[in-house]
Amino acid sequence: MSSLDSRLAEYIAHRLPGADDVRVEGLDRIFGGASRETYRFVLCYRENGAAIRRPLILRRDPPGSLIETERAVEFGAYRAFHGTEVPVPEALWLEEEAHWLDYPFFIMEQLTGLESNPQQIIAPPYAQHAEKFARQKWTILGVISKADPQVLGLDRVMPAVAAQDCWRRELDYWESQVDEDELCPQPVIRAAIRWLRRNPPPPPAEVRVVHADYRTGNFLYDEDGRIHGILDWELAHLGDPLEDLAWSLNPLWRWAGDERAGGLVPNDQAIRYWEQSSGMRADPAALHWWAIFSCVKGQAIWLSGAKEFSDGENQDIILGLTGWLMGNSQDRAVLDHLGYLS
Amino acid sequence: MRPDPDRLLEVAAIHLMTKTGPAVDSAYEQSSLMVLALMLSGLREEHERAAARRIEENRALREIFAEAQAVVEDDELGGRLVRAAGGDDRDFAISALERTNCELRGLLIELHAYVEELTSPESRELESLIWRELVASTERRKLAMGVF
Repeated sequence: MSSLDSRLAEYIAHRLPGADDVRVEGLDRIFGGASRETYRFVLCYRENGAAIRRPLILRRDPPGSLIETERAVEFGAYRAFHGTEVPVPEALWLEEEAHWLDYPFFIMEQLTGLESNPQQIIAPPYAQHAEKFARQKWTILGVISKADPQVLGLDRVMPAVAAQDCWRRELDYWESQVDEDELCPQPVIRAAIRWLRRNPPPPPAEVRVVHADYRTGNFLYDEDGRIHGILDWELAHLGDPLEDLAWSLNPLWRWAGDERAGGLVPNDQAIRYWEQSSGMRADPAALHWWAIFSCVKGQAIWLSGAKEFSDGENQDIILGLTGWLMGNSQDRAVLDHLGYLS
Repeated sequence: MRPDPDRLLEVAAIHLMTKTGPAVDSAYEQSSLMVLALMLSGLREEHERAAARRIEENRALREIFAEAQAVVEDDELGGRLVRAAGGDDRDFAISALERTNCELRGLLIELHAYVEELTSPESRELESLIWRELVASTERRKLAMGVF
């Protein structure tokens, strides 16, 4: 048993005082998840004479990552949406003390037998369900967009923001990330930031929960075309629902290599599903602003990963690839949105 | 240098994908090796053009700075543009070319922001020139495996 196995078992035994013979089996790191280290494992223990086996997920903070995120917010989002129309795994324990596993972490239910890889969803046997996936994907996003943060209790873990300040808060934050992490000046992204400041969007009708990384690749799906779990809530915050819609349409997620959003359906169809579900209208000018913003945010994320990798803080090979490969594509997406690619 | 670095990278990538990757037990390490192989394939492209694209871009940026002198009225910025426009790449090591490229791209940002505030037809023309160069800069950096 590796050190991490035994320490994890020790922690869970501490959280389950009525359990005996607590063991962790099959601990295995999952590739991706560049903001947190993600491991799958099976928790085994005895309780009231019964042997229990439960597949779980460990999400542990790494020494460095693509983005600095609040684990309490992510944990809170899973808790808030569990049991609602938004399918998410059950969040079990949040641990902010580093002494158990060297870094803070949380543990949640593992939804087994499902796929999340964006390259798989565009290939057989999944590709035949593209429209079915899309309808669910943007319908679920619409449900998130119309959910009341106060009813969910998320206003207690996510900082408040006034409707008219949504765009500025996000842009200020992600521009500061570019300032901190760029290894070489970024003329395209700086031009985009100036454009965004000159052309602010109208405020949203309501401030809502924004998942903030809602895309193909961040949900679990099966071979019958059903979506079972929305993952990776680490960037979730209160804000303008159009931020999520625009991010989901970012050209970098066109995994099929054609015009289809998220490798699934054309943009207008995705927008229609979202509008039907959320009951909101996606104002084209406002969505255009958020689309350009999504490129700035994307670039900030790639730059952060590239810096972490270059500085040696995090040698996860995925950071090296994304920084290198995605950055130029993100610049091209900006140029396209601004009408300079033709 | 024989065999060519291009050939060495190709063989290394194929070896990782077809031999080393499948022989590793951990799914995480297997995926990491696949990504590494992908990076080596990208490096083949980058290795071939690394110096050429930087020299070409540095030259293009200096030409823009030379053109800008007729439009820029700010003495301080104008002075830096004159100095940058008069520069030349003499050290062809990638690190040296990259260092110069970053300096020139930084100056391009300042020039672009300055020109956006002007209203003359000449400034609009210069702005169009800058945008065309920004598009060209992404063309130079495109990778075959790039998503957009």
